[in-house]
Amino acid sequence: MSERLLTIENLDTGYDGVAVVRGLSLHVDAGEVVALLGPNGAGKTTTLMTISGMGQILNGSVTIMGRPVPRLRQAHRVARWGVIHVPENRGLLYQLTVRENLQLAKTSGKVDIDRAVDFFPALGPLMNRRGGLLSGGEQQMLVLGRAIVAEPKLMMVDEMSLGLAPVIYEELMPVVRRIADETGAGVLLVEQHVDLALEVSDRGYVLNHGDLVMQGAASDLLADRALLDASYLGVESLED
Amino acid sequence: MIARLSPAERISVAALGALALAWIIGAGLSRELFFDPVLFGLGSGAIIAALAIGLVVAFRASGVINFGHGAIATYVTYVYVSLVGDGQYPVPPIPNPLAPIEGIVGIEIVDFPTFISLGDSMGKVPALVIALATAAVLGLIAHFAIFRPLRYAPVLAKVIASVGIMLFLQAAVVLRFGARAKATEPIFPDDPVDILGARVGQDRLWVLGTVIVITAALWVLFRFTRFGIATRAGAENERFTTLLGFNADFQAGVSWVMASVLAGLVGILVAPITGVTPNFFTVLLISSLGAALIGRMSSFVIAAAAGLMLGVVDQELFRLELEWGWIPDIGIRRALPFVVIALAMVARGESLPSRGALTVERLPEAYVPRITRGRMVGYGALLAVAFWLTVFAPFQYRAGMQNSMIGVILALSLVVVTGYVGQISLMQMALAGIGAFSVASFGTQAGMPLFISLPLAVAAGVGFGLIAAIPSLRTRGASLAIVTLASGLAMGEIFFSRPGWFGLDRGVKTTEPPVLFGIEFGPNSDFIFGDGKIPTGGYGLFLLVVGALCCISVMRLRRSRLGEQMLAVRANERAAAAAGVNVAAIKLSAFAISSVFAALGGALIAFNVGTYGTDTFGIFASLTVLAFAYLGGISTIGGAITAGTLFSEGIGIVVTNEWFIDVGPYTAYVAGFFLIGTAVYNNEGIDGFQRRQFHQLGRWLSRRRGRRVAETADV
Repeated sequence: MSERLLTIENLDTGYDGVAVVRGLSLHVDAGEVVALLGPNGAGKTTTLMTISGMGQILNGSVTIMGRPVPRLRQAHRVARWGVIHVPENRGLLYQLTVRENLQLAKTSGKVDIDRAVDFFPALGPLMNRRGGLLSGGEQQMLVLGRAIVAEPKLMMVDEMSLGLAPVIYEELMPVVRRIADETGAGVLLVEQHVDLALEVSDRGYVLNHGDLVMQGAASDLLADRALLDASYLGVESLED
Repeated sequence: MIARLSPAERISVAALGALALAWIIGAGLSRELFFDPVLFGLGSGAIIAALAIGLVVAFRASGVINFGHGAIATYVTYVYVSLVGDGQYPVPPIPNPLAPIEGIVGIEIVDFPTFISLGDSMGKVPALVIALATAAVLGLIAHFAIFRPLRYAPVLAKVIASVGIMLFLQAAVVLRFGARAKATEPIFPDDPVDILGARVGQDRLWVLGTVIVITAALWVLFRFTRFGIATRAGAENERFTTLLGFNADFQAGVSWVMASVLAGLVGILVAPITGVTPNFFTVLLISSLGAALIGRMSSFVIAAAAGLMLGVVDQELFRLELEWGWIPDIGIRRALPFVVIALAMVARGESLPSRGALTVERLPEAYVPRITRGRMVGYGALLAVAFWLTVFAPFQYRAGMQNSMIGVILALSLVVVTGYVGQISLMQMALAGIGAFSVASFGTQAGMPLFISLPLAVAAGVGFGLIAAIPSLRTRGASLAIVTLASGLAMGEIFFSRPGWFGLDRGVKTTEPPVLFGIEFGPNSDFIFGDGKIPTGGYGLFLLVVGALCCISVMRLRRSRLGEQMLAVRANERAAAAAGVNVAAIKLSAFAISSVFAALGGALIAFNVGTYGTDTFGIFASLTVLAFAYLGGISTIGGAITAGTLFSEGIGIVVTNEWFIDVGPYTAYVAGFFLIGTAVYNNEGIDGFQRRQFHQLGRWLSRRRGRRVAETADV
């Protein structure tokens, strides 16, 4: 069995002492892509923020490669352990150029910017453009490219498809799979586009209103589409 | 490169090029007129540039425009001068914790140290090291105790905190070293050198060289190193930067230390050339703010170049004013920073890059004044006490009441513009000055009766207030604070400090006591009640009536439709505009109403003191007024009244002096301290604090009552 990167046991997490996510247990191993699914307000983003040290653990534990998550003031340490978190709003620094954004992929050591261009050739001619001037798709390429050159052990991507045209995120999704396959990194993927996410994932978890309502192999979840839709309480039945 | 510039920028670049060309031709024709001033100007420009790049560092670290930057330079310079002079390290004034016991026992238990002796006069290098270490500590305190907690705070709180730093450190300097200028031995060789026939002190060129080297170093650091890029990233979005593994907090702290050490270094290098006074660098800071603003608070090179340019242009105009008599003497030279800032604002027309914040803390609550029977009784009681203090109490209380009532009116001017509409104005005392000088010109000099001269003075204040408010339509937040500061400075320089406009007589102006219906009621006029000592109660009574009317009108304003629209603009300009509020009209009316109170307050000061000069209405007076208004509570009428009692020589200070201890010399120091504390920990000021206490008391009482009812029910 491959290395266990992330273990969450019986986690309660939320804001101001109020739990948004209750009793969550999940794990991510090296080389696998895990989808974390659920409707709006299910607690997906809160879970990712907690893993990155920016949430409030009310109960339970989050262990990243054998180490507990540090407190908020020390949250920057998580990234130094090799955890890259691409937040919902992309985590792009608008005032910095593409090159400068990529240079921040690592806190020390040399950054191999060319690797990002290998994955996303479109970034090549944009190196001196400010992040804020890129299109939505280019921005998403930039943050994924930055995640790649950071050579993460664990990568978390939050709502990559948000605000992007289908043609663009359908292209980006397979890249996530490629990262896991080529680098052996574990990927935790938060998505609202269920089919799209499960197509590239090995396993999936479904959250609703803070509770874990379903989990299993991606193929099983896709196969039992009716149950999956039911777990969303019909909220997503209009989609697709 | 050219293609990226906006049309306005292209025009300015072309204009600058033409000017430079004309200048070079001029220098060829007349060296004295066009070359020498450049050389001298670069010397003074270097100081402006050095302070400007320090401002840019601090802004990049935490998105703060640090009005305290000059004060940090001053404090560190005085530390250095003291160490070099006699090896004495100043202890920051700390209240003696044993003072209450000593007061009761009546003997001094320990002599609280003011200086620590580090041996005899010290060498320059160890003194420099210790002084710069002090600067580093100041930077750390500024970051961790003040601006880190204010990361997500509204701009107003940050501006207030930095004004607090300025007041606090300057007061500390005055308390420890006195207000007199200090000189110190040269650091750089100071024998003059010849450059193309012009003789210039070598030390100035050394300073210039140092500034250029530091600017280049900062440019490289922030542009090309990972530390620099990450610091910029941290200033833009702290959360994202943390997710990338950078400790944004640590980096901001390092930048604060850099900014602070830079300020100290500039001060120390410059002090031997210019000498140093407690507000020397703070006055220079205004030009530096202009330069930093031209560099959009983000470009070291542009900021430094603009600083040098300001120095050069200032010298050149000085020279030309001497040489060419036909240039009207209207203070163009001294108003230059304002002109530059205004042009920079209009040309750029965009707001400063701001720190991307996760959440922005709410602004202080602007309570709707509710009129209940209980409150009416309270107001009545307050008025009765005020009436007694104004008319019958001993003279020092009467004087305190007069100062406080004027303070209330001035604070109300800020409640309207800053509290209700959220526009930071640092020019209120300049508008007050317009009121004061106008009422003297119209009344005392032109002989108009009070009921004409006072409204005319107020109208003049409104006129100037509106002109100065125009940039507020295009700028907001910290940029607006700088523009209003510059406007205040320009008004002072153009109108108050020269004989031309308002006819200053040897630097002072005199206002005769007010007369209405043949009755003279100045502070020195006879009055039927009281002990007859000066000030008599008549003028105080007039102030009480005017002050109460002002409070009532602001109360009505808050309850009116206009007041609601003002708060809408404060909360979210775009949303207000979308809801059909004319944002520009609301802002201008707020400035107009605010100017009414400011000019009125100024005119009342004129009657109160009779004879006054420029300093009464200078920029420091404006900053102090804002400080007290914020301390009292910037967004409520109760806050304005509280602010009035705290005002310098106001009733609160008089009572403290009479009953407790003489706080006189410590007023600015203590005010600065509490101002920082208010900005960081309690943005609603003293009034909001009391309000919460009352609410808690009320809840506690109702809980008790509820329990008693429940107990009765059980029986």
